[in-house]
Amino acid sequence: MSTVLDTLVSQPYKHGFVTDIESETAPKGLNEDIIRMISAKKNEPEWLLDFRLKAYRHWLTMTEPKWPNVTYPKIDFQDISYYAAPKPKKKQSMDEVDPELLRTFEKLGVPVHERAALAGVAVDVIFDSVSVTTTYKEKLAEVGIIFCSISEAVHNHPELVKKYIGSVVPAGDNYYAALNSAVFTDGSFCFIPKGVKCPMELSTYFRINTQDSGQFERTLIIAEEGAQVSYLEGCTAPKFDTNQLHAAVVELVALDDADIKYSTVQNWYAGDENGKGGIYNFVTKRGLCKGRNSKISWTQVETGSAITWKYPSCVLLGENSIGEFYSVALTNHKQQADTGTKMIHLGKNTRSTIISKGISAGHSNNSYRGLVKIGAKAEGARNFSQCDSMLIGAKCGANTFPYIQVNNPTAKVEHEATTSKIGEDQLFYFQSRGIGTEEAVSMIINGFCKDVFQQLPMEFAVEATKLLGLKLEGSVG
Amino acid sequence: MTTAAVHPYVASLLAGSGAVPKSPAAWLDARRASALERANALSVPTTRDEEWRFTDLTPLTKLQLQPAALPAPVTAEEVEAHAVPEAAVRLVFIDGILVPQLGSSGTLPAGVTVLPLADALKSHAALLEPHLTKIAGDDLFASLNTAFLNQGVFIHFAKGAVLKAPIHLLFVAAGQNVAAHPRVLLVAESGAEGCVIEDYVAQGEAAGLTNAVTEIAVADNAAVRHIKLQRESQKAFHIGSCAVTLGKDARFVSQAVTLGARLSRNNLAILQQGEGVEVAIDGLALIDGRQLADTHTLIDHLKPHGRCEQVHKTIVGGGAHAVFNGKVFVREGAQLTDSSQQNRNLLLSDKAHVDTKPQLEIFADDVKCAHGAAVGQLDPDHLFYLKSRGLPEAQARNLLTYAFGAEIIDRIPVPSLVAKLEAMVLARTEAGA
Repeated sequence: MSTVLDTLVSQPYKHGFVTDIESETAPKGLNEDIIRMISAKKNEPEWLLDFRLKAYRHWLTMTEPKWPNVTYPKIDFQDISYYAAPKPKKKQSMDEVDPELLRTFEKLGVPVHERAALAGVAVDVIFDSVSVTTTYKEKLAEVGIIFCSISEAVHNHPELVKKYIGSVVPAGDNYYAALNSAVFTDGSFCFIPKGVKCPMELSTYFRINTQDSGQFERTLIIAEEGAQVSYLEGCTAPKFDTNQLHAAVVELVALDDADIKYSTVQNWYAGDENGKGGIYNFVTKRGLCKGRNSKISWTQVETGSAITWKYPSCVLLGENSIGEFYSVALTNHKQQADTGTKMIHLGKNTRSTIISKGISAGHSNNSYRGLVKIGAKAEGARNFSQCDSMLIGAKCGANTFPYIQVNNPTAKVEHEATTSKIGEDQLFYFQSRGIGTEEAVSMIINGFCKDVFQQLPMEFAVEATKLLGLKLEGSVG
Repeated sequence: MTTAAVHPYVASLLAGSGAVPKSPAAWLDARRASALERANALSVPTTRDEEWRFTDLTPLTKLQLQPAALPAPVTAEEVEAHAVPEAAVRLVFIDGILVPQLGSSGTLPAGVTVLPLADALKSHAALLEPHLTKIAGDDLFASLNTAFLNQGVFIHFAKGAVLKAPIHLLFVAAGQNVAAHPRVLLVAESGAEGCVIEDYVAQGEAAGLTNAVTEIAVADNAAVRHIKLQRESQKAFHIGSCAVTLGKDARFVSQAVTLGARLSRNNLAILQQGEGVEVAIDGLALIDGRQLADTHTLIDHLKPHGRCEQVHKTIVGGGAHAVFNGKVFVREGAQLTDSSQQNRNLLLSDKAHVDTKPQLEIFADDVKCAHGAAVGQLDPDHLFYLKSRGLPEAQARNLLTYAFGAEIIDRIPVPSLVAKLEAMVLARTEAGA
């Protein structure tokens, strides 16, 4: 059994290469001057600098959270460079984009122009913190959708950014959110006006490129009354030995009858089989269902990063609002994941669903941590949670820490969790039908994750299925 | 006392620990001293401590508590009201102090010993030494109990000894502002079988603290059933810890029913040290008014082939607050563990609330583990059905609430207790409706 697992598990990282683009990098370290420098470089208005400085001052008073079920050496926040940007150049068309950059995307299987054209996807490409190219903007603008980098939004739509930034994840929300608020360099901004259904899936690709430059993305998505949007985020990063910190903040706001679907496939470098290197992924993602009948749905496939620490959450404030969380988290080698969700029911008749599938292999540790909170005024709130774990090999761990807090008797909350493994008899059955071990394992895992995969947009579902296969190649045998 | 307590309230609780008489065994004095030292270094846990996140001990710290010098006067008739006719032997503690004349004793089969702790330390010190204070943890309350360790009971089942009838330990809280620190040590040698009932009751409405510690060592192939009833007064504080170690193929059943106390905390920690154990944990808390009932359980599977089935239910009315934290650990190498945990909570009023955290930590791949937690109110369809059969709303509610709790109570194999508990649950649900 273990040999196939071993080979599966020890697949080299296929996206590990460094693109050689001249980067403009800030000196290492963090202080108010660095923050002023970032703000000045980005030519930001005064209020944003104030926002950053306030967050920074608050961050100084905070301590790193110790409660996650993960271990890692202490991060030296003064040893990180907080700003790296490709050299500024004005580009009129895709042809002017650095060919090296385009080649990188091609190696990743993401030829921006072709893919965008063929798949009808507008790709807002984030390459080391600064948005380099944006496609399909005009088409989206026709229906009134604003889809751009957050730096652009700060200049072109300051009233929207000012109104919503920090409204879901306040600057002092937690240690890493405060850090992000102080030093975020770029990210995506998306605004869907009243009654507009976004005509295409919106997507961004994130890549961390310059060594030692922690990346601090800030994403803000606003769906006005009756608006609908599906947003895709895919991540890969080159192979490095130094741990890289990634502390992103994602904020979603859904007004009355709005519907936001946020999907992530995360495959950052996870470190080698001995746990050396890899990305620290400490992310704060939160959605606010502000209006009646609004809906926010998170779907994530987490396969990368040395440490994943994230809880995409929904605050269900509006009456009848709906929160959903579908997650597959796969850990292998020495990876650690502490991930889950928070569903905060505040409004009447709010509903939430949590489906979490954890797969652990190698020496990894995979934890589900979740909170379902029913406020005293959340009459008729309803939650269903299912957290299943699968263990591959005897050296890995799977943990569940669900917190359930109910303050209203009309609420109905259910939580279920199971743990299982790929059984010898299951494999034997497949083999008796002429299906090889590797394929059998892949089928069992796909079956295990089916509830989540079917929530993903089509092309992501295909990618996610492949990714899991790739990650586990040779780990079951 | 070598160092003074860091925390003023801990210091006030510890006042008087110097007056505990020297034990006949020097090793126990040493253990008491180190527990005192440990307690001195600790603070009263706050809601910032993960283990006490939902249970605020501030109201406890408002009480000035002392161990009782003498037991409050309680008559034989008052004690008889709590009698369990099935019991083979009864020991009665008033305010944490053993009152021998209120107890009763039948003839015990050979190999079964039930002795006051003080006597056992003289006659059976060698049997106690490996276990006493070694099984329980060392949090603040267990350390306090050990620092005061003097009153309690020692139960010993020799190899192969079997006692079908339960041993009844009755703890009566009667005095005002009393802190009682009773200790129970039960040792079941290989192949032995026995059952103990810990029964915590109140005489009057006195406010005080019962800080009980129970240690149970179940050797290979032995079987122990532990029944705990807690029905102290609505002003009382009850903190009870039960720690259990299990040998190879040992069986252990825990049945705990919580009805009383303003604030109660039940800790149950089970350590599976041998292969192939079988464990069942049943819990029921029925609370209303301003009560808080907190249950923390831990089952630690260290060895393969362990089985554990847990059901914890709460019925929460008034402005009461139920807390449950159930940890299931499956350690590396504890293959073929089969552990299941269910937590069901019934909320009866707008102000009632529940915090639950069923927690699984698994480090072995060939295991079967499941847990579930549910919080809800009575099913309107069930109510409708009963009403369609002519039952008035209130009666239908009572019946359903009662049935919810009866599942746990009915599994207690002591008929007189079942009858008593059922009557109590019915009275509570009727009063609450």
